[in-house]
Amino acid sequence: MDRNQRPRSILESLGEELIGILTPVSICMFTVVLLVCVLNSDPSSSSASFSSIATAAYAESDSDSSWDKFVGAFLNSLVFVAAITVATFVLVLLFYLRCVNFLKFYMGFSAFIVLGNLGGEILVLLIDRFRFPIDSITFLILLFNFSVVGVFAVFMSRFSILVTQGYLVVIGVLVAYFFTLLPEWTTWTLLVALAIYDIAAVLLPVGPLRLLVEMAISRDEDIPALVYEARPVIRNDSRLVQRRVWRERRSSDIENTEVRVVRAEAEAEGEDLGSRERSEISVPLIERRPDQGESSETFLEGIGLGSSGAIKLGLGDFIFYSVLVGRAAMYDLMTVYACYLAIIAGLGVTLMLLSVYQKALPALPVSIMLGVVFYFLARLLLEVFVVQCSSNLVMF
Amino acid sequence: MTVAAGIGYALVALGPSLSLFVSVISRKPFLILTLLSSTLVWLVSLIILSGLWRPFLPLKANVWWPYALLVLSSVCFQEGFRFLFWKVYKRLEDVLDSFADRISRPRLFLSDKLQIALAGGLGHGVAHAVFFCLSVLTPAFGPATFYVERCSKTSSSHVMSLQPCVTAIIALAFVTIHTFSMVIAFEGYAKGNKVDQVIVPVIHLAAGMLTLVNFASEGCLIGVPLLYLVASLTLVHCGKMVWQRLIESRNQSVPLQ
Repeated sequence: MDRNQRPRSILESLGEELIGILTPVSICMFTVVLLVCVLNSDPSSSSASFSSIATAAYAESDSDSSWDKFVGAFLNSLVFVAAITVATFVLVLLFYLRCVNFLKFYMGFSAFIVLGNLGGEILVLLIDRFRFPIDSITFLILLFNFSVVGVFAVFMSRFSILVTQGYLVVIGVLVAYFFTLLPEWTTWTLLVALAIYDIAAVLLPVGPLRLLVEMAISRDEDIPALVYEARPVIRNDSRLVQRRVWRERRSSDIENTEVRVVRAEAEAEGEDLGSRERSEISVPLIERRPDQGESSETFLEGIGLGSSGAIKLGLGDFIFYSVLVGRAAMYDLMTVYACYLAIIAGLGVTLMLLSVYQKALPALPVSIMLGVVFYFLARLLLEVFVVQCSSNLVMF
Repeated sequence: MTVAAGIGYALVALGPSLSLFVSVISRKPFLILTLLSSTLVWLVSLIILSGLWRPFLPLKANVWWPYALLVLSSVCFQEGFRFLFWKVYKRLEDVLDSFADRISRPRLFLSDKLQIALAGGLGHGVAHAVFFCLSVLTPAFGPATFYVERCSKTSSSHVMSLQPCVTAIIALAFVTIHTFSMVIAFEGYAKGNKVDQVIVPVIHLAAGMLTLVNFASEGCLIGVPLLYLVASLTLVHCGKMVWQRLIESRNQSVPLQ
């Protein structure tokens, strides 16, 4: 009785939006680690067979010296980042020329290709691994349906938010898994290069992402992009907390919202044949201020925890976080835990910086840098120490 | 080791924490964030410790006193970290209280503070279980690591390795100890109670030293039950302390009626 009359403490609901973003990021990383563990347990099979634009300059082989590998990996990342920059500028140009329909069509097409092609390849590998009995016609029909529903989910409005979120996470997982197939040195230098590129593209006045975002704000339009949106929580004075179930069009639902764009990122990825290139613009962190009349409660404005309205995170972030963790999984699971915690910490720091600086900030660098640092620390220092202790059953 | 056995050992070490997580912590998003940051803090402490000890590793097998030194230094370092963690939590508590005042909601209740301390302790326990137990259990893709057979039971026909099982059981004891000693420590620091403040490092050190008993052959048969004795002591002390506080606070909030 006493409890029921006691007003609700602030602890009940603080930090909910942050958890709404951390959960899908964690699910994506966990799925990629699972795929890496299941499909890579046989090291002789396909490690060297993935060639894409990211290995165009140099194909790593085990017999090269460390310096050669490093130089080769550096060249690879330069090529990749250059390709991404060019692709982003093309996108900026198209957006400037108001070819929005073409961009939307292209996004839908690329989502279909990712789900159908990459998804199909991974499913075939899984079927092979688990000896799952299924015939090719059933498989093709199921795969086709899956991809088409995915395209609709990603680009139609008024589609169930949960299904959309699920499909976005699946797309992230598929692309991230294929990136983990790159050779090792290339992967690490690529991640660092992308983090640096991200800073440049968002903070420099001439950066393509900054131009894109400023254009979108000035025209008050949606950037056609693959963006993960956490379910927005509408709070009332009463205990009832409603969650929006349908995804609604941005222009219709908010009149005087201030959109603070954190980061936008474009990535291009080459396919195995090297002939197809796909670009996905992701606009990672957009924070919305609550409507002036909507909620009677204001939230903790200092920390990024409290802003009402949805937090959005771009799919590129999902993908590269998962690539880092997937690559850590190829060494040992201790590095996976360390990198996971580092990435989550980086994400939290980025959100806090966002609320402090109140302007566009890149979301990749902090997490990637922390992740890379923790990976090497765990691999070089932590593993020896912990294994030494626990194999002698000495713990503290 | 098969996948089923691996999952079994993982659940032995982490089962109770999983149920704690699902029943208490997953209800409140702030507690999940506390858990994650606590795990991160203890990971950082482990990394710093491993950095400090790296020049001296690998230690010689079968000599126990370097390990005693290692445990002693690590426990002292981690207790120092716990105090720092408390300081940061105090700052955060002030921020949360002023925020609650601003939106005219009640300040943090005692049960909230206890839950935050519990989440912090669970983070410590999970960090311990994950790094000391799970990562050694799961098969490694990378280069093989040192493996010393410490605990085995000779039966008539073959030697059975109890090591993974014992690792999981020890990890369970430590998870319990870490989770609840954080609650004791936070309440001790909050109320300035010297007994509580001192008992936590003592328990931690005792538990660490008890694992050194495993060096003797078949030592794990003695060491593990003693460790569980320490864990149950922690539980009992924590339970008594929390009960007293709750009764106190209820008596305070129901004035003369």
